[in-house]
Amino acid sequence: MEAKDYWPNRQQWKEKNALQMKNTVIAKLVDVSKYYGNGAARVTALDRVNLSLCRGDIVVLVGLSGSGKSTLLHLLGCIDKQDKGNIIIDGIDTSSMSLEQLAPLRLNKIGFVFQSFNLIPVLTAYENVELPLLFKGLEKKAISERVHEVLDEVGLQDRKKHYPREMSGGQQQRVAIARALAGQPSIVLADEPTANLDSKTGEGILDLLLNLNQQKKSTLVISSHDSVVLDRIKSVVHILDGRVSVDTEHSPVQT
Amino acid sequence: MTIIKLINIALRNLFRNSRRTFITVLVSASGFAALAIIAGYMEFTFFGLREMTICKGFTASGGTGHLQVFMQDALQKEERYPLEFGIEVNDKLQSNIESTGNVSFTIPRVEFNGLISNGEKSISFLGMGVDPVKESKLIEYWYALDNMSSKAVRADSSFTQLKNTAPNGVLLGEEMAKALNVKKGSGLMLMSTTVDGAVNVVDVTVAGIVQNTIKSINRYYLVTNIKTAQSLMQTEKVSKIVVILNKTENTDAVRPLLSKKLNGSSAKPLFSVIPWNNLAEYYNSVIDAYRIIFSFSGIIIVVIVFLSCTNTMLMATMERVKEIGTLKAIGISNIWIILMFLFEGFFIGVLSVVAGIALKYIFSWIINNSGFMMPPPPGMTSSYELNIFSAVEFLPWISLLVMVSTTFSGLLTFVKIRKISIVNSLTHV
Ligand SMILES: Nc1ncnc2c1ncn2[C@@H]1O[C@H](COP(=O)(O)OP(=O)(O)O)[C@@H](O)[C@H]1O
Ligand SMILES: [Mg+2]
Repeated sequence: MEAKDYWPNRQQWKEKNALQMKNTVIAKLVDVSKYYGNGAARVTALDRVNLSLCRGDIVVLVGLSGSGKSTLLHLLGCIDKQDKGNIIIDGIDTSSMSLEQLAPLRLNKIGFVFQSFNLIPVLTAYENVELPLLFKGLEKKAISERVHEVLDEVGLQDRKKHYPREMSGGQQQRVAIARALAGQPSIVLADEPTANLDSKTGEGILDLLLNLNQQKKSTLVISSHDSVVLDRIKSVVHILDGRVSVDTEHSPVQT
Repeated sequence: MTIIKLINIALRNLFRNSRRTFITVLVSASGFAALAIIAGYMEFTFFGLREMTICKGFTASGGTGHLQVFMQDALQKEERYPLEFGIEVNDKLQSNIESTGNVSFTIPRVEFNGLISNGEKSISFLGMGVDPVKESKLIEYWYALDNMSSKAVRADSSFTQLKNTAPNGVLLGEEMAKALNVKKGSGLMLMSTTVDGAVNVVDVTVAGIVQNTIKSINRYYLVTNIKTAQSLMQTEKVSKIVVILNKTENTDAVRPLLSKKLNGSSAKPLFSVIPWNNLAEYYNSVIDAYRIIFSFSGIIIVVIVFLSCTNTMLMATMERVKEIGTLKAIGISNIWIILMFLFEGFFIGVLSVVAGIALKYIFSWIINNSGFMMPPPPGMTSSYELNIFSAVEFLPWISLLVMVSTTFSGLLTFVKIRKISIVNSLTHV
């Protein structure tokens, strides 16, 4: 009797939840500043940045070289520490945690794609992708399925046994993307992922990142110093001398 | 799973810079081989010294044999006259001892002292009355040893000379012969107190001049036939009975059996049975000194292995800064990364042990077949051929030592790994 009443409620709850999910803030920067050097030589790389990223957001971070894009991504990716302000990732305030303490968070919630690919040279494409999953403690079978799946998605099914040195830059970056996505992170960060590639290959990589993200609904932040990416993405965060401003027109991103 | 992967990565990294790995393994393997050879040399030295103590001895008292039987009183009380607490030897006592399991034979000995004179000059001596035939038999034991046989230059035993100069021959130490200005065949006089306290004199002939292994006693050393000594002191007693076993390893087992057999279950035992190592002061002091020297060289070698391996490991971390940073960036904790280097150190250890065992056997084979003669040890007069024993029971310990030092050098990389900044390493080439 009661169960009957229960079902519609449940449906409602589900819908509500999905909506909430979409607007869930996944990463939040509050008055974050980052400096390099001391005294007179001090450089302000980020200056009181406020930024919120929601689940599923696709954001491009645009700014000139030296404007602070990498610094911002490093802080979002929890591979560097801010000097001031708070960073909250998926509800966890990371401010008081050391980089070593943040390792599990990086492993489980963040996928990083580096400018220079950063694959482990002694490991094959398959093993590079497999590595984070192993450390997440997944089962052997689940890992194997996932690695095959994600290598398929980046179109490298036939390069599984190749070592990084046996692959082109574009292929290496695909492996890196596969590695970043394998663990199904909530945030994928790509710091100028196309900078070391020719423009055609670079476009392919961008396509891949965007398409994959469309399916996965994870938050994606790509940085770029040219505007090639601009016309393909709606949310744009501009960065200039460490100050962040958001293209207000359409962005779900709030400063 | 994760561990297996780490091991796998560690192994691949080892072969990545295979030349450096090869050199590191070579250094550690040489360290292993050096330790093993030192252990083998130590075993050889200890064995040689032990058997020499038992069969030949370093003092005028000759070889210690494996066990010596004394009257209990001789060890505890002061004698009022010579051989007051000597042993009354008879066939029954001798056969009683010799019928004990693992006992080969016995040798009676008389210890005495007095003056030796050439008519113009008298010198005091420490003398030993022996049965030359049985003493020769003890020396034959030494020659019969497998490990020693190749090297000993078989000299005509001085006891044979003593036997041939019956009835009253004496063997003199070199220095004493010089002091008395005598040579083989010269006549001398021995003077000593009898058991009754009177002074007695015996005429003797120099049967041979001998070099003692310990130079300093050459001045006092004197050996006569046991009969000569007994007639000088006018007694039938002996100071002790030396017991020779079939094997040195049986000493500890035979000792209580023999003691029980001689004393029964009497509360106040008549006889005391002393093992050779309690009678071998020289052996014990040399062993102690050698142990210290060997331990020192061991420590130095281990330190060299450790430093060489640590150097390799730190170089490896420097070369792989970017990878280490990447691993950290994707969320792998330092502990795993350190573990990976620890495995690398461990495998260097494994390779070193395997290569070290091979090197050890190659080098000891070469040494053992080279016929290399060692100079006489301190205080001794004869050189001997170098022989490296296999020292198998030391190998597990040496392996452990090498493995621990290489593994620990892998562990030491944590100093560097912890410091590597993720952000700086990403741009590292
Ligand atoms: N490790 C560092 N040491 C000193 N200054 C740095 C360091 N990293 C970045 N900077 C400075 O911080 C500013 C922002 O750099 P970065 O975030 O790398 O910019 P972008 O990625 O947009 O080119 C620049 O002025 C740069 O010179
Ligand atoms: Mg940058």
